Amino acid sequence: MTDDKDVLRDVWFGRIPTCFTLYQDEITEREAEPYYLLLPRISYLTLVTDKVKKHFQKVMRQEEVSEIWFEYEGTPLKWHYPIGLLFDLHASNTALPWSITVHFKNFPEKDLLHCHSKDVIEAHFMACIKEADALKHKSQVINEMQKKDHKQLWMGLQNDKFEQFWAINRKLMEYPPEDNGFRYIPFRIYQATTERPFIQKLFRPIASGGQLHTLGDLLKDVCPSAITPEDGEQKTQVMIHGIEPMLETPIQWLSEHMSYPDNFLHIGIIPRPTD
Amino acid sequence: SMAGEEDFFLEEKRFKQYCEDLVKHSQQIGDGWEWRTSKDLGDGYLSKTHFQVRNRHIPPDLKEKNNDNTEQMLFAHVEEPLDDCGAAGAVSTEEVVRYEYHVLYSSSYQVPVLYFRACFLDGKPLTLDEIWGSVHASYQARLQEGPWDTITQQEHPILGQPFFVLHPCRTNEFISAVLRGSQEHHRHTNYVILWLSTVGPVVGLNLPLSYAKLEPEQSTDADL
Repeated sequence: MTDDKDVLRDVWFGRIPTCFTLYQDEITEREAEPYYLLLPRISYLTLVTDKVKKHFQKVMRQEEVSEIWFEYEGTPLKWHYPIGLLFDLHASNTALPWSITVHFKNFPEKDLLHCHSKDVIEAHFMACIKEADALKHKSQVINEMQKKDHKQLWMGLQNDKFEQFWAINRKLMEYPPEDNGFRYIPFRIYQATTERPFIQKLFRPIASGGQLHTLGDLLKDVCPSAITPEDGEQKTQVMIHGIEPMLETPIQWLSEHMSYPDNFLHIGIIPRPTD
Repeated sequence: SMAGEEDFFLEEKRFKQYCEDLVKHSQQIGDGWEWRTSKDLGDGYLSKTHFQVRNRHIPPDLKEKNNDNTEQMLFAHVEEPLDDCGAAGAVSTEEVVRYEYHVLYSSSYQVPVLYFRACFLDGKPLTLDEIWGSVHASYQARLQEGPWDTITQQEHPILGQPFFVLHPCRTNEFISAVLRGSQEHHRHTNYVILWLSTVGPVVGLNLPLSYAKLEPEQSTDADL
């Protein structure tokens, strides 16, 4: 029987084989070969693509290089979303490797946040962790930690160090013995088809009668269109880390075991493939 | 939450009511605030757009043009461009900047949050430094002392576009302190107006004094 801790490792070490190709209109001094890389699902594009940037900059002139950005089939990819979420939302039902186009010009100001340095990624990551703890523990656990503990969370992510990260993160997954779970569950539900980037609401993991709320309960409450009526065919998939968890799964368990390192459950609602 | 030593957390219903009161007064004085409801989920936010004419290289004064008849105002009040400075090379050009301010509710922190962005009329966005250039020096100093974290660029939770955000994690701390003090005299102080009048000027947004004298609607009283 799989230990729950194995789930934590499987989530952390998930990878997506990706092929990076330079946008054809970028000006190069010689032909740019595609670059292949296994991307960590739990990380962020601008954190793990230094080698990609170096590879393409080698064939470009300095003045042609401005802030890097990534696009998939015409859609600019939001670097501040975890890589696994981006893949599930945009490309989960297409053939591997994931083909991403690399740009160095014409940064899409209306679509993407700027990412001038790793500090910006760290600030974003820590802001998400803090917001998650505001929901789970009224910020008590994160505020009690020292700055070096916060730093350890970031370094663990940046350097792909599972043990280092979870030595601190486990504290963010605890709750008082008299409670049966967190105060509210940190989650965001994404649908590529909507203008609204995500749905986020207050949701308690435990019902007033003491029963554990499930993933299905969450969706019914917050995004009922994701669960079609019994007589109709299920037109959508509910996806977390590339899999479809059973709707009966307790949301408290999902929050503890399948959150991303930012402590949020990022859930994708995607069209079910018709074949 | 109960009164006493606990903070005054702002519930979403109360937030909406305070925004409604703000918009009503704004309409009376032509201050340009409106409430925008999202079509899919029925939540919404306060929004205000204003235009500012400014010289590109010379910091403008604090006066802002936030009248409803913006276009008329712009063309009636465009300043004469200064002469070319010749050898010094500093040419000043007139430029119109469009500022957008949104007030959203954060259910995670149970506080209002200020989102803002600015762009030239051709759509080119201003950087934070360029926006900063239009904020009066004394307010720039206030940013250092204020109970807020630095301004960062974030995705607007309803529109999905990049905005700058003044998201103070300690909003509730300082608002609660003020409300505790006013508890005896002004039980129905509009949290949103109080908060906006404090954080707004730091990013070039001013609230005329008449907002402070708002009498609450009957419905706000009934909630207490």
